[in-house]
Amino acid sequence: MKLLIGVIPPNEERAERLFVLEEGKAVLLKNVDDARVYPNYALLRDRPARINDRPVSGSGVFDFRYGPVTAGIREAGCFHLYTYGEKILRAGIDLSWKARGIEAAMLARTPDAALRLAETVCSNFAFSHSVAFSRAAESALGLVPDLAARKWRILLLEAERVTNHLYQLSRLSAAAAQKVLAAHLSALFEDALRLNACLGGSRYLMGINRLGAWERYPSAADSHTAIEGYILIARKFRQLYEHSLANYNYLDRLHAAGVLTPRQVEDFGLTGPTLRACGLDDQLNSGTEHLVNLPVITHNEGDALARMEIRAEELVNSCQYLADHLTTANTWRQGSGAEQQQPATEGEGCGVAHSPSGAVGYYLNIRDGLIREAAIFTPSYAGMHAVSTALEDLIFTDFPFVFDSFGVHFADAAR
Amino acid sequence: MQWWPFYGLKRQLAESREFASPVPPMRAVPRIFRHSLFIYVIDVGSSNALNFEISALESPQYSIHRYGIYLTDSPRHADILLVLGKPTAAMLPPLLETVSQLPEPFCIATIDDCPEDRERSYPDLPNHICALEGIPSPAQILGMLLDLSTPKRKTR
Repeated sequence: MKLLIGVIPPNEERAERLFVLEEGKAVLLKNVDDARVYPNYALLRDRPARINDRPVSGSGVFDFRYGPVTAGIREAGCFHLYTYGEKILRAGIDLSWKARGIEAAMLARTPDAALRLAETVCSNFAFSHSVAFSRAAESALGLVPDLAARKWRILLLEAERVTNHLYQLSRLSAAAAQKVLAAHLSALFEDALRLNACLGGSRYLMGINRLGAWERYPSAADSHTAIEGYILIARKFRQLYEHSLANYNYLDRLHAAGVLTPRQVEDFGLTGPTLRACGLDDQLNSGTEHLVNLPVITHNEGDALARMEIRAEELVNSCQYLADHLTTANTWRQGSGAEQQQPATEGEGCGVAHSPSGAVGYYLNIRDGLIREAAIFTPSYAGMHAVSTALEDLIFTDFPFVFDSFGVHFADAAR
Repeated sequence: MQWWPFYGLKRQLAESREFASPVPPMRAVPRIFRHSLFIYVIDVGSSNALNFEISALESPQYSIHRYGIYLTDSPRHADILLVLGKPTAAMLPPLLETVSQLPEPFCIATIDDCPEDRERSYPDLPNHICALEGIPSPAQILGMLLDLSTPKRKTR
């Protein structure tokens, strides 16, 4: 499967480039004729901050503006829900409130300094952004990352997945009025954040990855604590999940809500749980050199329930994966690190990482050791388009759990 | 299988320990806040970690309601406005509008998750009582809120 996840604008020296995921691997395509193959080309080329922003008018139609200051979403973003009675006729989304211009801020900085900025695009995906940025910079500068660094990156991407999936499932259950379940999942979410701090010294795994190498190795005692912690999270979560699947009040709310077809998700260039909930595999697992092949979980329904089930099953797998590999991880120590290598000072490269909500991609052009061009492609941008489409024709009360089922964030989409 | 409302009732998840703020309040706290504290959270351009930390603060481990601390859904019901992140240009007017909706007496606390960013800055905020920097943990945020409400109930 080939998915277009970004378009790199042309400049005076080169033509437009397409950032494509091919069998899960990042590829830069120079031939702009390829653009016709991808239905989301125009969307990603223009990257409008206002999504589906076409007002609906008529007798009885009301523009319900939700955000940018609202307790329901909490992030600085805005929905324009055009409603007729309870029915949502159109859902426009305005990302501009959260735009911080991070791509522009990266320019004229060293790759090491820009790496720290990459972590602030969306801090709950900080590690995915850090890994994708590192892969792009290493590819541009001809750096070969240390084997230990490569392994730790893969492992901690799973730790980030556990934290984010727990957060998302907790939000989803709260939105669907499952307060007991939400409280227990929220407790597990806090536990997972503490395990991140135990492994990486930061609850969001920030500052531990650097170009070509690894900054901080956990002690044997910390690894042991983390192993026990992930086993406990998996056990408690499984119990809660089985309990929740017996609750028809919960399942009925998610079933057939926010349905997307496989054609629609491919057209948006979606990756991650939203794509896999439609029975498609983005092959990111195989494309990002996992230590062992994690099973790729797919469902066919394409609704909020399928997205929830995928997150739940991935979460248990990731906990198991972490518990299994952390036992041997103490032997992964710095070998021939980046210090011994002589990196180039210019070049261009791209990199991708498998974030909890889909593929995060970076394109970097480096000259004289400084960033000259930077483009960030996030799963939340395409995800916001999908949210907007999925909300159409639903009733207003479906809004919170349909939105939360996608796992998209304004910070990630607006950059 | 247990009936869902009874699931986990015997589990003691709330933690009893001291919650300390990394910085003290910048001015005297109105005594009216000593019984309870209602907080309205506004994100004005954070990197999202702070939103996650506020969600973690709502987890059973911290059990903020036992201290009389509540998150409200409207600034008109709030004692404290908790500002997450440094405002983007677009979020400055909504921030000031939110401040204008707070009932007297009120205080404003800010958490700047990106202090090294010199491009963005806070406007002059009235009754700005506390300013944290970086990404504080929920325990530190709770410590700050307890400083603003009931110092004597800091440990429970």
